Amino acid sequence: MSKPAVIPLQQAIKKSFQCLENNQKIWKSVLAECGPLMVSLGNLAEQSIALSNVQLSNTPLRVFPDLEERLRFKQQHAIDTVLGKMNEKMSSLQSVRDSISNQVSGVFQLYEQNTESLDIPTLTERSAITPSISDMLEWLQDADRHYRQEFLRRKMLLQTLRADDLSLLESAPKRWKSLETPTAEDQISDTLCKVSFFMESQ
Amino acid sequence: MTSVRLLSVDPSDRGSQRCRLGPGLMSALGLGLGSPLLLSVPGGSCLCTAWPRSDLTEGFLQLDLKCCSPGLTLPNTPTHLDLDQLSPVPCPKLKGLKITVVVQGSDFKKNTPPRVIHELVKDMMRGVYVHRSHVINFEDFDTEIRYAVIESITPDSTCSGLITSKTALEITGIQTLKYYESGLQDQNLVPLGGLEEVSLSLTEMLRLPLLYPHTLGSLGLSCPRGVLLVGPPGVGKTQLVRRVVGEVGASLVVVMGPEVVGSRPGESEEKLRAVFERARSAADEGPCVLFLDELDSLCPRRTATTAAENRLVAQLLTLMDGMTRSDRFLIVGATNRPDSLDPALRRPGRFDREVIIGAPTLQQRKNILSVLCERMPVYPSVDLEELAQRTLGYVGADLSALCREAAMHAIRETTKCSVEQTVGMKHFYEALKSVRPSCLRSSLARTDVCPVSWEQIGGLDDIKLKLRQSIEWPMRFPEAFGRLGLSGPRGVLLYGPPGCAKTTLVRAAAASSHCSFLSVSGADLYSPYVGDSEKALAQLFRQARSCTPCILFLDEIDSLIGSRSNSQSPNSIQTRLLSVLLNEMDGVGLKVSERRGTEKVLQAEGVEEGPSPQQLDYEDVCNADVMVVAATNRPDCLDSALLRPGRLDHIIYVPPPDHTGRLSILKICTESMPIAADVRLEELASKTNLYSGADLENLCREAALLALQDENMKASQIRHAHFTRSLSHMTPSLTERQIHMYQTPPT
Repeated sequence: MSKPAVIPLQQAIKKSFQCLENNQKIWKSVLAECGPLMVSLGNLAEQSIALSNVQLSNTPLRVFPDLEERLRFKQQHAIDTVLGKMNEKMSSLQSVRDSISNQVSGVFQLYEQNTESLDIPTLTERSAITPSISDMLEWLQDADRHYRQEFLRRKMLLQTLRADDLSLLESAPKRWKSLETPTAEDQISDTLCKVSFFMESQ
Repeated sequence: MTSVRLLSVDPSDRGSQRCRLGPGLMSALGLGLGSPLLLSVPGGSCLCTAWPRSDLTEGFLQLDLKCCSPGLTLPNTPTHLDLDQLSPVPCPKLKGLKITVVVQGSDFKKNTPPRVIHELVKDMMRGVYVHRSHVINFEDFDTEIRYAVIESITPDSTCSGLITSKTALEITGIQTLKYYESGLQDQNLVPLGGLEEVSLSLTEMLRLPLLYPHTLGSLGLSCPRGVLLVGPPGVGKTQLVRRVVGEVGASLVVVMGPEVVGSRPGESEEKLRAVFERARSAADEGPCVLFLDELDSLCPRRTATTAAENRLVAQLLTLMDGMTRSDRFLIVGATNRPDSLDPALRRPGRFDREVIIGAPTLQQRKNILSVLCERMPVYPSVDLEELAQRTLGYVGADLSALCREAAMHAIRETTKCSVEQTVGMKHFYEALKSVRPSCLRSSLARTDVCPVSWEQIGGLDDIKLKLRQSIEWPMRFPEAFGRLGLSGPRGVLLYGPPGCAKTTLVRAAAASSHCSFLSVSGADLYSPYVGDSEKALAQLFRQARSCTPCILFLDEIDSLIGSRSNSQSPNSIQTRLLSVLLNEMDGVGLKVSERRGTEKVLQAEGVEEGPSPQQLDYEDVCNADVMVVAATNRPDCLDSALLRPGRLDHIIYVPPPDHTGRLSILKICTESMPIAADVRLEELASKTNLYSGADLENLCREAALLALQDENMKASQIRHAHFTRSLSHMTPSLTERQIHMYQTPPT
């Protein structure tokens, strides 16, 4: 049975899933670019630690004037460059997150507006090609929550890095890698598969 | 359908604040997708968004604890919820919100600027439905920020609301997880019996710097830094500190004395510094108490020989002195032997206050017993008052051991005959036999007193009456004694010819009055080292005083303590022991560390006053001293200073038995023997003039042996002839002259 409010809602949901699919690709590519940046950050940190561990005045390099300060300056500069690039990536991740959030909240707003005409049996009605509206809204909510959590965790990691604590910088790439949650990403891919028939219909 | 079954949450729902209901239930409650719903479960309430179950079944409920009451956990076994425990609540968009953030570790708290935390928390809380005084759980984010405790929400009219990007968030404080969890735990505090005054004073010391820091600063005061708790072992010092810390919500850093000591030189000092550092960092959060248990093992007096201990003591002294005004933690030390502590520790500025916790008085024992029995199923007929009276000299640890033993007895009984497990009075009596007071456990004067009843002693009725007056009455009728201004006698001397039941009389008195009983003889006290016996006697008196009322029985006192006038060497051991005894019995006063109970009753926070001072007086004044009972055969050898009133008040002459006395003695002796019908005890009694009680016992024994001898071990009865034959063989051990000598009263 098709109530008048169901169709626009389904259209909105379709659009959201489209947006989700696109954004998922963007997210994955940006994250892949972040990897090498974090590795170079770790390397730079290692170099800085090595510099502070060595006494240049005891080595043959002491003939070069101000070598230590200049090396340190170069390293700091490189770290700053890398962190700047990371910030750019983070802002593109943030835009991904925001667009997904906006889409999902738009869909929910539409639902709120029509909540009198949509009762629970309608919402939970499912067919072979079309999952029920409540299921699809649930998946959208989960995806939104997932991206928000991921972004927040990575942002927190970057914000807790401090210039003076080099060991934190050194361990940063490992911690970045540990933040990956392949199961959650797979779940979003699964969701997209589940709605693929729905997306192709109409 | 009136109830739903509560199941554990689906893993994919974690952090979503969803609660899964059946679609029919949702329609019945008028809920749409994502409508906020308040569920009251046992232990608190939980706010979540309603969502239909994915399998669309009715009758089951799963919920996610994103926003719930503090400390709420779901029961492990599935329970049922009635429909009236679910209620939809309106959740308008909130304008403002005040929260306290709980983070994992103190490093994160110190190193992260508050602005960053504010931003992060604001992001995390978008789209969450919150309820007043609930806790938002951020565990699914898997970061350092764990919880947010909702303090207040604006507008004030609602209890719950939705957080949007426009909600103004204010963080009132940041706590660490450990501190937060310790604040949750104080709901299950064990009440302490009998230590209310001491815990009040400790609580005051902990709370004042917190409540009125500016006042104290402006008055130029600094609150006491250190408290020393002194008391016999088992009285409850450690438990008191834990209790007070739990009440105030402070954090506790405990150091058991020997665990700081290390093997390498300097290791123990390093550990001690680390402990102080830990306390300092814990004091940044809130009030903190550093508890040094068994302080006398850590800081003995500094001597020239043990260099390692000297260093440790010096380190502790400098650490305590080095505490600046910013160090806001309190140091509490506990010890059994305050005299072995280095005296430099006990000055103001280090351990300012000393609190002496003595062995509990009658009222305090009753409190402790009522607290202990609350948690055990006891018969209502169990009389705690009587138990408190019978447990003289027991400290808190002894009383809990007593209850444990009683419970064990009850369990042993019920395993044989499966009856309800309740602990009755008889279990307590059995436990009393096995649990002895710990202050007497290491006494050199412990004896196993086989209880003797008054009826087993023949004759001597007036002597028995006098003994009862001296020993039993002050304890049983303290009000009467107090009313007439009497205090109990200090000492009783029983003298008389040997073998006349002096020792037995004392045993009977001890058994009938339920006092602690200590008995000592010469062999226990004498030792080859000079000064040892005096110390042993003084220690004996101290132990006796710690478990009053107590009977201290000095048998054959004339061999222990001679007389100063007719002794050959003026400095002999006997003279010295005599001086110790004279001093202890009638000396200047109790040592300060022996005070019992605590005098202060702080009027704080509406706590009622302790038991009225008059009542305590009646129980304690009359029994404040130890009753010394001495027995001797030669009263003329005793020093006259002992025999004056005020020391050995009552001097009782125990005569050899007269005719009626001998008759009753014979009756008692032959009670367990099968005597023939022709035995005439009256005749025997009249023939045995000048026989003492021991003689008569010997007579009966000899008669029985003769009977055995005559009939080749097959005798079954003792006949009168045997008695007369044994009588003819015996002579009395007493002579007229001896008795005459006793009857002139000693000077």
